[in-house]
Amino acid sequence: MALSDAVRLARRNLQTYAIILALACIWVFFAFLTDGAYLSPQNFSNLFRQMTVTAFLGIGMVLVIVIGGIDLSVGKLAGFVSVVVAYFQAYVWTRILPTQPIVAATLSVFIGVAVGAAAGVVQGYIISYLKVPAFIVTLGGMFTFNGALLLVTQGRTIPANQPALAVIAQGYLPSTAGWVLACVIVALLYANMLRSRQTKRKYGFELPSLSLDLATTTFFALLVVVYVFIVNLYNGLQTPVLLLALATLILAYVADNTRFGRYCYAVGGNYEAARLSGINIRQLVFMVFVLMGLMSGIAGVMLASYVGYGTIAAGTGYELDAIASAILGGTSPLGGVGTIFGALIGALIMSSLSNGLQLLNVQPAWQYVLKGVVLVLAVLADVSFKKK
Amino acid sequence: MSDDIILDIQHVTKEFPGVTALKDVSLRIRRGEIHGLCGENGAGKSTLVKILSGVYPYGQYEGRILYAGQELRLADGAIRQARALGIAVVYQELTLVPNMTVGENVFLGREPAEHGVINWAKVYADTAQILARYRLDVAPQAVVKTLGVGKMQMVEIARALSEDAKVLILDEPTSALTEAEIDKLMEILRGLKAHGVTCIYISHKLEEFFRITDSITVLRDGRAVTTQPTHQLSQERLVSYMVGREMTERFPKSRRQPGRVVLEVEDLHAEDPREPGRKVVNGVSFDLREGEILGIAGLMGSGRTELVTTLFGEFGRITAGRIKLDGREVHIQSAHDAILNGISLVPEDRKGQGLVLIQSILRNISLPNLDRFASLGRIDADAELRACTQQATELAIKAPSLQVPCYSLSGGNQQKVVIAKWLMSTPRVLIMDDPTRGIDVGAKFEIYKLMNELAEKGVAILMISSDLQEVLGMSDRIMVMYRNRSNGILDRSEATQERIMALATGIASAM
Repeated sequence: MALSDAVRLARRNLQTYAIILALACIWVFFAFLTDGAYLSPQNFSNLFRQMTVTAFLGIGMVLVIVIGGIDLSVGKLAGFVSVVVAYFQAYVWTRILPTQPIVAATLSVFIGVAVGAAAGVVQGYIISYLKVPAFIVTLGGMFTFNGALLLVTQGRTIPANQPALAVIAQGYLPSTAGWVLACVIVALLYANMLRSRQTKRKYGFELPSLSLDLATTTFFALLVVVYVFIVNLYNGLQTPVLLLALATLILAYVADNTRFGRYCYAVGGNYEAARLSGINIRQLVFMVFVLMGLMSGIAGVMLASYVGYGTIAAGTGYELDAIASAILGGTSPLGGVGTIFGALIGALIMSSLSNGLQLLNVQPAWQYVLKGVVLVLAVLADVSFKKK
Repeated sequence: MSDDIILDIQHVTKEFPGVTALKDVSLRIRRGEIHGLCGENGAGKSTLVKILSGVYPYGQYEGRILYAGQELRLADGAIRQARALGIAVVYQELTLVPNMTVGENVFLGREPAEHGVINWAKVYADTAQILARYRLDVAPQAVVKTLGVGKMQMVEIARALSEDAKVLILDEPTSALTEAEIDKLMEILRGLKAHGVTCIYISHKLEEFFRITDSITVLRDGRAVTTQPTHQLSQERLVSYMVGREMTERFPKSRRQPGRVVLEVEDLHAEDPREPGRKVVNGVSFDLREGEILGIAGLMGSGRTELVTTLFGEFGRITAGRIKLDGREVHIQSAHDAILNGISLVPEDRKGQGLVLIQSILRNISLPNLDRFASLGRIDADAELRACTQQATELAIKAPSLQVPCYSLSGGNQQKVVIAKWLMSTPRVLIMDDPTRGIDVGAKFEIYKLMNELAEKGVAILMISSDLQEVLGMSDRIMVMYRNRSNGILDRSEATQERIMALATGIASAM
């Protein structure tokens, strides 16, 4: 019984498992080539930290692609936000709030997120209400934000390495706090499993065997425990990863359990059916781009904090990493299909590749080649799976 | 005129899963004649055209087709082969590239080229020559999208003729044409005949057969009922051939009592929002009562779907007339408004407009009803599941669970999902656009029963149907549409297939 259940479950989630398997293969491959250095606590911890900026963009990109759109501006928007944050940190707060570094950093965060959201409002309005294709609007946005970024920096690098700001993307939780958090998450995982079984039983849905459910839940619980164990061997749980996990959970919840999320999938799945079901499509498209702007704002703040500087090249090419993460994670470029968690794994694959190649001292040019090949191969594998 | 046979169709049968589209059809078409092909929607005309043009290739049907004495064996996936042999179809949906010129369209896919470089001078010279020979009044350099529908049709014909078509099949060529354009088309067809081109002419407008054809074949339920010289026929005889069959017990009985008027439509006019000036509703008035089923009959292109989507707030821009609900005038601007006013629409195209096929039954049913389960945007999954499960059980949707995607369901079950989705919002007016199209007899019967139950509960139903028996079997009253207006409303007791057909083809108009 349990075996046939497992087979059925595996078949249904083939794509999710395939991508996790691909990730595992990449890790084993690099661990082997680097004599284990790749999976050392320090590198493991860095690997996850490195993905956070593009992952914020990637999980936001999922809903944009699900509704049948695209956003090419997110990389340069995040870059622009990062230099705005650096500008305030370096030149504004030092003058008016020299003794309040925490207040200053908090204000910087709000300003950064607000700039991102405002950009989303403008682009979203032009796309949804003025009916200019998203590709064009965001391509224009990409140029505009790049220009704005250069205007802010005036060609210089702006320092943003104040400790109060740096803690956002470079901070670590004490190991006790990490363990407490791990325990809470594990408890929630089991509670959620029981609740879902209860609901299914109540409505007479096909109920997977208890042993299988226990096995899957235990598997995820173990992942959490092992993860916390490893990062605690280095500096502790990384704040940016924690924030990313939080954002992922919220977005995934929104995608699955709110009207807004459901409408996104319906519009991407069949525009006509969604329209005739009374969905206000313009408003929905607008909201999705505002959300994407908000996520770009968060990514920009992360970027400033992570790098510690506002640089003229900030965010270059991040939009492509974000799109690739979403697609690798199973988002259909045709719309209607895609998961937030998938994009997270996609982003992890992209950063795993970069990190591994850096560790092997391969020149950056090859990173691009490999990322490109992996992306196309992943979609090719998906296409041929679906044919069978 | 010679009696030489160009197309000899012998005992052709074409089956689809569950449906026999053509049953043992035999007919002969003489070289150089204009042969009319008529029948109701679904009688098998399109299937026959698709066999002749190679859409359904040799081997996918039974029987033989002799073309100029040789057996026609069109290969799978080689639609060009039929054209190369001289059989060309001008479809009712035009197949031109709007941004290209007339010449580019005429030679699309077989441009005269030397070393891969297109000889444009030859393209335009040859196009001009063809246009002139058949007196087609179009400029070879004109961009197609700037032309009217009538001229586009001429370009289609020119393209077929440029490939040296010997048999030209015209599938409802006049459905989008004005009177003047129809006259021009008739003139062109006579010209083609003079040049020895054979035409197969398909239309829903019976008077056209008598203007242009030499002989007529009537198809009914996939059979060729008769082939006769046109001068031996009259429009009335033609209609009786088209519908002449017995009514069987296919419709469940209902004891319903229509109540007070819910919906009133008064002299409604509307135009296409994308093409201002093009009338899509041209004077429709009716009222609809609680617990009543009002059937809307009419041929394809008579404006039925345009009418109901306009009522639903999703298509035409209303230019005159009024819509009243419970005696109060309403202004419905979108599907959302319609739903709030208690109007639901089961759309014509189940897969294209009714369902998100890649999503589960559950998600499809709840889609327009999420407001009921959501507080502050968050969906109460338990309540959603409970309500959808109940709805699915009531409609007896057959599926392993509500979590299976809709593409895996049969047509009948898919239609039930669409109906379920719209019943959950407890509509007072339910519009159903061809609710049983393409589903099997058993599932049809269940949907009829469901409609009766709803009407007995007091729901007012507006049902479009292309199936005359269905209209007669299910409706309390029948509105017949012709050229985007209502051409008469018949009571069930006075309605017959012949009377409906006469109104639908414009032979008669109700007093």
